Amino acid sequence: MRNLVRSALYLFALFILLVTALAARVGEAAPDFTASDSNGKTHHLSDYKGKYVVLEWHNQGCPYTRKHYDSGNMQHLQKEWTAKGVVWFTVISSAPGTQGYVTAGEENEYVRKTKASPTAVLLDPDGNLGHLYAARTTPHMYIIDPRGTLIYNGAIDDHPTSDAADIANSRNYVSSALQAAMAGKPVTDPATRPYGCSVKYKD
Amino acid sequence: MPFRRVMSCFFLLACCNVSWSEKIAAKHTQLELLAQQTAASPGQQVWLGVHFVLEKGWHIYWVNPGDSGQPPVLQWQLPPGFSAGEIQWPRPEKMQTAHLADYGYHDDVLLLVPVQASKSLSANSRAEIGLDAKWLVCREVCLPDHAQLHLALSVSSSPKDDPSVAPLFTNAHKLVPQPLPRHWKARAESRKGSFVLIVDAGRPLRQAEFFPLHADQVENVAPQKLSVLARGAQIALQKSDQLLKPVPHLQGVLVLPGETAYTIDVPAAER
Repeated sequence: MRNLVRSALYLFALFILLVTALAARVGEAAPDFTASDSNGKTHHLSDYKGKYVVLEWHNQGCPYTRKHYDSGNMQHLQKEWTAKGVVWFTVISSAPGTQGYVTAGEENEYVRKTKASPTAVLLDPDGNLGHLYAARTTPHMYIIDPRGTLIYNGAIDDHPTSDAADIANSRNYVSSALQAAMAGKPVTDPATRPYGCSVKYKD
Repeated sequence: MPFRRVMSCFFLLACCNVSWSEKIAAKHTQLELLAQQTAASPGQQVWLGVHFVLEKGWHIYWVNPGDSGQPPVLQWQLPPGFSAGEIQWPRPEKMQTAHLADYGYHDDVLLLVPVQASKSLSANSRAEIGLDAKWLVCREVCLPDHAQLHLALSVSSSPKDDPSVAPLFTNAHKLVPQPLPRHWKARAESRKGSFVLIVDAGRPLRQAEFFPLHADQVENVAPQKLSVLARGAQIALQKSDQLLKPVPHLQGVLVLPGETAYTIDVPAAER
């Protein structure tokens, strides 16, 4: 019995170590995930080896998210980069009953209405994917390179405001990082402070 | 119109040294631009304050908002002869949920700003001070807001503290972090996964909390490990996962419950 308890403790410790080791850090392997999209399709990050993958944390009620959707900025980025072969996942980690939580049908309606064009919208109401990447804000952006390495973690741009008028004067970190990486150059700002509303996780 | 306002107007008309402002109702917030003194004096500094009164449960942010949020931004429109200094941020509170921690203010906060009046100003004149304030107010959800505030300030060679706002300003000045007392010593070490702040106060410090001035240096949500020392305390702060560059100086605010808050700016020696 004592041995059983000890084994269980070891296993638990090992699990904690694994979870700690899996936290998303720039320059290291991006943690693999499995998540369902708003059309019921399951995606594994490992399915997209060989492609750039963008993760965009999203909450349609958040004024910072709205800055980039009401202005069309986010849709423009999605269109531009998916056309260049990038896989773009919008991720929603709002728990049921919190701001930004949507059913699959509501999200598809939102995507249609806003003319958004992510590759898919991953629904993460339990917050598992959010915690795996330690996503803090909406928006919070991540880029994974074709080898599966996390090459960017942070803000969408360098103007931490909710004012759409600031977009024109902003440096978009996601575009800059993708341009640099695709040209074989190092990413100038691989980690920045994400700005926006807090992700509305289940407590 | 509240009685105080009526009286203010009355005195204003009677041409005494008074400032006049109005309270603005915003989203879950009321705010007002106030002056500590009844007038600005040529060649002297006058303290202005932006007073936020927040609805229960709502908060605004410190200069380092923590994991989310945004600090208020103040843009002054000052007449010639006036120049505004930096916001003197009161010590913040930590607002923590299971996964994120932010720094800010509940209930009410007065953001103090020193304004310098030039020697060349003529006494017995008036100055119209304008302020464009932008801020983010949050509870579970966040709402950006902005307001245009005004303050009519007299210029006089004999200003006094305005008794109607004196307690508010006195309290606000007490909440602004002060330099460490002369006989205290602070140093910091940058270790593999943590910063360690060591404060020598000449007596044990049983409770202390550190608020980092810059985002993404310290893991905001991680508990701070305090070790009480015979002559102070040692606080271990988990480094942020986002920390890619070395931090040569550890900067922030040390809050001792029930005491003054202190500014910390010490070299972080690599260990």
